[in-house]
Amino acid sequence: MTAKVLVIVPFPMSDAERAHREAQLQAVRLAPDIDFQFRSVRAAPANYASEHDSVLADMSILDAGKDAQREGFSAVCIDTMSDSGLAALRSVLDIPVFGPGRASMLLALTLGDRFSILIMWDRWRHLYQKTIAELGFDWRCASIRSIGVAPNNRTLLAGKEDEVLPKLRAAAERCIEEDGAEVILLGSTTMHEAHAYLAQHLPVPVVNPGPLTYKLAEMALGLGVSHSRGAFPAPIVPRLAMVDTMVSAARDVERRS
Amino acid sequence: MPKILVIVPFALDESGVARRREQLQAVKLSPDSNFHFRPVKAGPTSFMSAHDWTLMDLAIFEAGASAQEEGFDAVCIDTMSDSGMAALRSVLDVPVVSPGKASMLFALTLGSKFSVLAQWQPAVARYRKAIPEYRLERHCASVRSFDTPPDFDSLLDGKQEKVFPKMLDICMKCVEEDGADVICLGSTTMHQAAEWLAKRLPVPLVNPGPLTYKLVESMLALGLTHSRGGYPKPLTPKLPMLHAMLDAAAQLESKKQKRLG
Repeated sequence: MTAKVLVIVPFPMSDAERAHREAQLQAVRLAPDIDFQFRSVRAAPANYASEHDSVLADMSILDAGKDAQREGFSAVCIDTMSDSGLAALRSVLDIPVFGPGRASMLLALTLGDRFSILIMWDRWRHLYQKTIAELGFDWRCASIRSIGVAPNNRTLLAGKEDEVLPKLRAAAERCIEEDGAEVILLGSTTMHEAHAYLAQHLPVPVVNPGPLTYKLAEMALGLGVSHSRGAFPAPIVPRLAMVDTMVSAARDVERRS
Repeated sequence: MPKILVIVPFALDESGVARRREQLQAVKLSPDSNFHFRPVKAGPTSFMSAHDWTLMDLAIFEAGASAQEEGFDAVCIDTMSDSGMAALRSVLDVPVVSPGKASMLFALTLGSKFSVLAQWQPAVARYRKAIPEYRLERHCASVRSFDTPPDFDSLLDGKQEKVFPKMLDICMKCVEEDGADVICLGSTTMHQAAEWLAKRLPVPLVNPGPLTYKLVESMLALGLTHSRGGYPKPLTPKLPMLHAMLDAAAQLESKKQKRLG
């Protein structure tokens, strides 16, 4: 029987734009009996560059995944390194939920002792600092280096490859040579198009965060494990109708504007 | 005359808000400061899972997001969880103060190890998560609960005789067995016990709500506010969307109330 896995895309977008995200499935060998379905949130912050954005992001991703279990999904992946909505979804779902932020740092430490995070611009820095603090991994993180190019969360790197790829490679080389990184993490799932190039040109492993979550979902399903209720207790009084109402209202405001 | 907004993290009625406002009596404040208490429009009714935290972040963010425009000079958030604080700091230039991290840092100006007194076991998880995030593990002697389910509306009303001695007993364990030299009350909802406990404890007790009122006065007096380095502004603010979300939630709640009669 085929298992369905929901992949939550953190911005509303067209099918063509979402195809740039779905292309991540090509980067990894997956079990044939798992069907990954990508779904955009209904409303969202314009980008993930401030705490204003983070609070809205948590709510929009909780909304997009809250019914996943009832809809017959066996697992949920969240397509953002911020892990937005991860804890909230784990509190309301029994099926496994994975986000790539925390997971890619943990995987990196199975491959080497220190990792660096390669990012498009400095406005993303806070996203990783939060996870690093939660995990207490300060001394495991060699550096976070930015190439100073504003990202586009819909078209990703399309049309910018010639500019961006050499910059990413140069920054990653400095992470390795100057900062002592033994593993490089892509700072965003929106950078996945750079993965093959970087993996080919860099002397250390490069973690591609989105595809990692697909394998983690597959692994959890295969092993029959899910998150701990000790760490993610269920709400005593669930308010999912309220979540739904709020995000519907947000979508209506967005449509009008 | 500085106007300070205090955000109450639950959608309480007037008497519930009044019980929160009593915290003003526990501290000597400048006669010039004008504290205005405002409950959130809608939100969670419990506070022990990530589902609840997510709702509360959004609700508190919305309640204070327009504070500066409304003429407030500062904002206090009445919850040790610091919910909504980071988001509010990202959109406001006026000081935004919350008691969670602040009361632990203040405790360390009074002693070298603090313990946190939690209401009940389900609340312990949140401190165990927050303290390492704040990098304060080395300074935290323990987190212990006095095993009494919280009531965010009536607080400790009517439970004093039974509950206060239990709280004292746990605080003494923190001091004698864990080595705490300061006790932090784990919630602003415990404020009614603060004076009673402080009189009986051999170490200082930090009462988090009143601490924020003094902190806010200090920030205003010193001309300080949060750093834009730590709390950058959003590139694309969506505050009308935020307000529409909570208005919709409040409407849903009032329909539900009407149905229940």
